[in-house]
Amino acid sequence: MRNKFARQFRMTALAAALASCYGMALANDEEKADLAAVAAEVSQLTTPESSISVGIGNWSGNRPQQGIYDGMREGKAYGLLDMTLVKRNNESGTLFTVEGRNLGLDTHELNAEWLRQGDIGISLDYSRIQRDNPLTFTTGLQGIGTATQVISGVYSAVPASNYELPKREVSLGTTRDLTQLGLFKNLMPNLDLKISFKNEKKDGARQWGLGSAALFLTEPIDSTTRQLEALLNYAGKRLQMSGGYYGSWYDNANTLVLGRINDGLADSAPSTNPAKPTPLSLPLGNQAHQLLLNAGYAFTSTTRGTAKLSYGKATQDETLPVAFNVLPLAGSPTNLDGRIDTTLAEVGLSSRPLPKLSLVANLRYHDVQDKTPVAAYIGGAPGTTFVYNTPHSYTKKSGKLEANYRLPQQFNLIGGIEINNQDRSVPTRSTVSGAGVNTFSVPFRAKLDETTYRLQLRRSLSDTLNGSLAYLYSDRRGPGYDSTGNTIRDSINPTHIADRQRDKWRAMLDWSPTEQLSFQFALDQAQDKYGTSAARPYGLIDGSAHIYTLDVNYTMGDNWQISGWYTRDDTKAREFGVLTTTPTTTTKDSQLREVGDSFGFGLRGRPSAKLQVGANLEWVKSVSQYPQTLTGPITAGLTPLADITNKLTRLKLFGDYAVDKNSNVRIEATHERWQTDDWTWSFSTGAPFIFGDAGTDGTVVTAKPIQSVNFIGARYIYKFH
Amino acid sequence: MKGKRYGGLFSMLSAFILATGLMAGPGTPPARAAGPGPETCKNCHASQVESYAASKHGTKGDARSPANAGACSTCHGDGSAHVMAGGGKGVGGIINPASKFLPSVAKNSACLTCHQGGKRIHWAGSMHAASDLSCASCHSMHKGKDKVLAKATQAEVCYTCHKEQRTQFNKPSHHPVPEGKMTCSSCHNVHGDNPKKLVKSSTNDTCYTCHMEKRGPFVHNHQPVAEDCGICHNPHGTTVPNLLKSRAPFLCQECHSSVTHSSESAGLPAGGTISRAQLGTVGRGCLNCHTNIHGGNSTVNSATSGRFRR
Repeated sequence: MRNKFARQFRMTALAAALASCYGMALANDEEKADLAAVAAEVSQLTTPESSISVGIGNWSGNRPQQGIYDGMREGKAYGLLDMTLVKRNNESGTLFTVEGRNLGLDTHELNAEWLRQGDIGISLDYSRIQRDNPLTFTTGLQGIGTATQVISGVYSAVPASNYELPKREVSLGTTRDLTQLGLFKNLMPNLDLKISFKNEKKDGARQWGLGSAALFLTEPIDSTTRQLEALLNYAGKRLQMSGGYYGSWYDNANTLVLGRINDGLADSAPSTNPAKPTPLSLPLGNQAHQLLLNAGYAFTSTTRGTAKLSYGKATQDETLPVAFNVLPLAGSPTNLDGRIDTTLAEVGLSSRPLPKLSLVANLRYHDVQDKTPVAAYIGGAPGTTFVYNTPHSYTKKSGKLEANYRLPQQFNLIGGIEINNQDRSVPTRSTVSGAGVNTFSVPFRAKLDETTYRLQLRRSLSDTLNGSLAYLYSDRRGPGYDSTGNTIRDSINPTHIADRQRDKWRAMLDWSPTEQLSFQFALDQAQDKYGTSAARPYGLIDGSAHIYTLDVNYTMGDNWQISGWYTRDDTKAREFGVLTTTPTTTTKDSQLREVGDSFGFGLRGRPSAKLQVGANLEWVKSVSQYPQTLTGPITAGLTPLADITNKLTRLKLFGDYAVDKNSNVRIEATHERWQTDDWTWSFSTGAPFIFGDAGTDGTVVTAKPIQSVNFIGARYIYKFH
Repeated sequence: MKGKRYGGLFSMLSAFILATGLMAGPGTPPARAAGPGPETCKNCHASQVESYAASKHGTKGDARSPANAGACSTCHGDGSAHVMAGGGKGVGGIINPASKFLPSVAKNSACLTCHQGGKRIHWAGSMHAASDLSCASCHSMHKGKDKVLAKATQAEVCYTCHKEQRTQFNKPSHHPVPEGKMTCSSCHNVHGDNPKKLVKSSTNDTCYTCHMEKRGPFVHNHQPVAEDCGICHNPHGTTVPNLLKSRAPFLCQECHSSVTHSSESAGLPAGGTISRAQLGTVGRGCLNCHTNIHGGNSTVNSATSGRFRR
């Protein structure tokens, strides 16, 4: 770095000196040529740089787990192509930028922007996110990615027919293609218009299930998401405002999937309880419109007020999908006519009434009203339960006050309180006579309140030692659950509205004993207590999380830097449940735990003026434990769960050699090893999981537990102005 | 009909834009700050002056840029005394917005003079401001490329403080931030005061910007889903597929743990089975059957429709 700085300094200083002392007009031809060369060099240094990088890389083997998103899942050669083209006219302020990343991969991105800085600009971006499912499916399922899918049947002796479908290996995945258009215009001093339009097409197939039975099916993904945002931004000396419109639209090409088992039986006729094929609903098209306004005003140099206001309306009124073999409930609506109105209002104040004291206060009102009309969609036979849609509304009101007082020795003492109050809707009970009368499936709470206290001691502005210690306590409570008609054992124990006490400790320390060496230590501890009560005897009882981190950075001279970090995270959760009450009560006490250790090491160096080298080592290990204590026998046919250990080791090396002032050659090498004994897709014997039984379906799911691969790549990078 | 409902709004907005557009003109420069310019400063700070000149701050064609308002002194104050004294850290009252020794309010005042609008309106009430962070804590003004503005490198800057998130993104199930396909700012407005510093006013509204199919409303709503995706998912990363905080059946049993089949014991079957009691853990666990767990629109007359199986 020193050499580059020194060279740049010499050139600019020389240019300035020559120009100021002699002037261009007085120089002779040779001097003029020298001055012109220096001027060109200076111009280069003060002009944005463009570059094109072309290369090729090869992965030695398949890496389904680590290659989920990076477009390099398979072991093969890939083109490495990136570019940045920047053209700027300093006088007119025009800037034209074209940037391409991963252009040789499926995960390519290309952005172009033309800008007359401070006046007008337009940008066009395209990017693709690919997500490849790391599992391999050996399946006979037909129609993957479509709305009609057929699951393999069995060989039938009587009558002699084979309904098995030929099996082959299938990989699932989704692709998101995002195109974005951006416009910017300065309309008048301090007033800008910004418009952004995004169109995202999502295609592919996602792992799913038949629903009526645990058989393999795929969800066809063929949807389009559009977002439009138009904002007027005003930024004056005292007043700033930003307001406009945000709209979003979701369209799904499919609304229903028919899943059929290939068994030779005829499809069922339209009825209120069809059996074959199974219709599965998909998300329907929806849209939302929002008007928003944000504002800030500086009352004085030390006091600032802010406000936020938005109103949004989301609707879902697409015709409900009805399969050919379904007879909808007589008189039920043909569409949900769903509507959710969201209102947000917020005011804030930040002030420094005394030189040593600063205050921040905030009041927030967030109201989500589900105005979807309630109607029965399922049921109707005498004495049976109607199933109604259950819109849910809530209003959250919160207030926050925080004070920060500066103490001697560069210490700050911070104290804060935050109060959150929720009003929550409780659905109207069914009034139909019979089994469904006057019952809830889920207990509800009409109110939920939480108060959080925060105390922090912080030291900053020191050259060698900075840090903070914070404690946070919050208490969430509400009145009794409304679960009339149910015994609590038959009901659900919702965690997110349960009483909870939370303690958090957070400590951070930055220590720089010398200018070259620095340490950073961080500690986070959190404890949640839900407990048990007569109103909520089961579910999540308590949980905790501990994270310890140490980072070290060391700079050796001007050309070498090393860094390292270590983190240990330890999370625990305890759950309590009841399996049976007759003939005897059997309970389950699960004490889940996950311990992670991760280590990183980085090296950057410049052994010579033309050569840069670097290395990154990453090592991650996690162990998940699932012990459960039962007061009776485990469910017949099941084997208790073993621990799961995941390990990842990744070593990346690079060398970058400057061939000349405009071009570099870069060599990259990676060793990556992923290892897991995750049993998610395996039986207790260790054999791969198979969907179905006695031949039906028979889809085999395999994961690759060890992925040890190497990458080598080379690039040529050309830089220019 | 929907178009007509919003037609008036669009017309008004269009008229306003057109009217203001006709009055358009480039912005006016801020008041010029006094002090020596780049020609003087580069004698000691050559690389900084060059990176400034190559940046948007150095663009003379923009009437609002520091290049038209005192250049170096716009952010660093009047450096006359600094030059006269022969330079040195803080000598002559020169301001370094990246200094360790200045309170963040003082450091940020130079930046906020021009960058107070838009997404930064609520900066003063943000968690980052309350944590005494300054603009220079994350941004590098004098580097060729600001790491925090580039997709591939932004997370490295955030990890400087957010160690927990660094650990979570190293877990096998994560959003594609380490792969450079998303950034922290895809979901977070770090200059704002929304809960969890999100780009939208709630967790779900933020998630819907990419996962709009979960927005519903559905005929059969799964109430926690409609309220907060973060009840079941950790968006930064977990060891369980689909960013789930815990795996089935344990995650589901945090709420569904009473005496029905939902609270059955966890364990692995020995081989292929269609037994409900044996399929709560292996594969997709509870979701082997409750496949539409985010909500369903089925009108099939079956109790299972309301339980997210159709």
